[in-house]
Amino acid sequence: MDRRNFLRTCSSFLAGGVALATGGLLATKAKGKEGDVFWQIDPYKCTQCGRCETDCVLTVSAVKCFHANRVCGYCDLCGGYYRPNVKELNTAAENMMCPTGAITREFVEEPYFEYTINEELCTGCGKCVKGCTSFGNGSLFLQIDQDICQQCNECAIAKVCPSDAIQRVSNDNAYKLKDHA
Amino acid sequence: MMGIIYSLNTMAVARFPKPDFTSGYEYPEIIHGVPNELFWNVMDIVLLIAMMGLVVWAAYKKRGRSIILSMSVVSVLYFGFFRSGCVCSVGSIQNVVMATVDSDYNLPLYVLLLFLLPIIFALLFGRVFCSGVCPLGALQELVNVRNFRLSRAVSATLSMIPWGYLAFTILYAATRSQFLICRLDPFIGIFRLGGDIGVMSFGILLLIMSIFIGRPFCQFLCPYGALLSVFSSLSWKKLEITNKGCINCSLCGVACPVDAIRPPQSSKMKEERKRGVKRIILFAILLPVLTFTGAVLVGSQSDALSLAHKDVYLYEMLLRQEANPELDEPLEVETFNALGGNMEELKAKVDGIRSDYEFYSYFAGAFIGFVIGFKLLKLSLKRGRKTYEIDMARCTMCGKCFNYCPQNLKTSK
Repeated sequence: MDRRNFLRTCSSFLAGGVALATGGLLATKAKGKEGDVFWQIDPYKCTQCGRCETDCVLTVSAVKCFHANRVCGYCDLCGGYYRPNVKELNTAAENMMCPTGAITREFVEEPYFEYTINEELCTGCGKCVKGCTSFGNGSLFLQIDQDICQQCNECAIAKVCPSDAIQRVSNDNAYKLKDHA
Repeated sequence: MMGIIYSLNTMAVARFPKPDFTSGYEYPEIIHGVPNELFWNVMDIVLLIAMMGLVVWAAYKKRGRSIILSMSVVSVLYFGFFRSGCVCSVGSIQNVVMATVDSDYNLPLYVLLLFLLPIIFALLFGRVFCSGVCPLGALQELVNVRNFRLSRAVSATLSMIPWGYLAFTILYAATRSQFLICRLDPFIGIFRLGGDIGVMSFGILLLIMSIFIGRPFCQFLCPYGALLSVFSSLSWKKLEITNKGCINCSLCGVACPVDAIRPPQSSKMKEERKRGVKRIILFAILLPVLTFTGAVLVGSQSDALSLAHKDVYLYEMLLRQEANPELDEPLEVETFNALGGNMEELKAKVDGIRSDYEFYSYFAGAFIGFVIGFKLLKLSLKRGRKTYEIDMARCTMCGKCFNYCPQNLKTSK
């Protein structure tokens, strides 16, 4: 074996050793199923700044408004449904908080109304969430819909979130829901 | 910008009591879907291994391009359009770096495998991953028609870019600032049919370029390709264009889109031996000098570089706001104040980040300097060859040379 081949073989083994060592070292750190793959918003940190709607890589953001019925007060005058200082409580477009009409309500019994979010229409702007957390029980909150999310290696909204509300979460805790808190 | 109310409730405030329903109303059950990531991750890894295996078989046993080409189509469709490109092996460098420096970060096993498997294959057979498995490479492979050859000097200079890119990627990932590779990925916008307009137009430009030049992204940008090329140059098996004996017809060299085929040359030096030795000694001295210079150059810029970190940027914004209170408050500053952010705490945090930056920018600069010095040293070495040979570091295993080799076309009897 000449000098060149000897050096080559040595460096091959060295490179193999380095690859195996890093692999082994990281494998002890790696978590199989529990590794943090998903991105999620912590609703208690969210300030409803509106960047979720505009900064997601998807044309229509993967962030949607969720509704925790068990927290909701079922009010007639809902801070998430109506704009502030509306003259009449009717469903005219100028009275609605939601710009896309994604919130519908249904009369349950005097004086309660059940509110439902149509995720197909929701753009994740957070206007209703802001109204609800400011004047109501905070039952409306923003979450990343994992079925829509592309699971980017680096979440574009997490990068611009002013309150660091978006973090990686594990497979088993893909949502941070308010009804279970 | 007054009157924005942040009602941040650490506990759920019940301003309105829970209603007592008398009509027997029941709360609706809303199920939020979670995709079966585990299944798709296993699927990705299985496909990755299977496709790399097939490329190895096609390149080493069959010496044909058709399988490699069909792998490229599968890769673009599955890894590119269907899985929308994330997480990929190229980007996994950043997760691995983050897991090394940050013990709190949970590296998914799947991402570790994405990072390691192509390296292991490169150590055994060369850059199999680049060939037809990486969706970024495959996309360029599929549009490549002509290859206008860049001069050696230009291509050697340009091929330093991936190392610089890698150094900055590690710098930004280790300081947890941003994932540079993901941000600047030129083709992700094409796979997702939408995205940042600047990066997307760069991607389209690259794609148009790759019609005329073989894989410009792989050759002159991809940091993972640079990493693989090191392991590939030390690979266990070497790819041969033909097993029936090279006749030095030079056709394979013309066919190669990435200029990875080296023509035969005599080992005799045209210049005096003494001059050559002198030059090598000069470059050997230059290597530590360049390493040091790089470290000082990039290290001195560490404060400017650290602005890529969100917290440092916020801190600078706060300082600017303090100096000019009449300016409109940016959203970040507004939120920081509304949440009762502590300037002292932030400053302590920023100082920590800045000292991290100082360390890693010295490292990044030294790394870039070392790579340039090493490249110079390597370029000054000359090795004799009797036949056309594949440079394993550059070869992306597209398989074009196999079909051009007249020896391969002979039917073996």
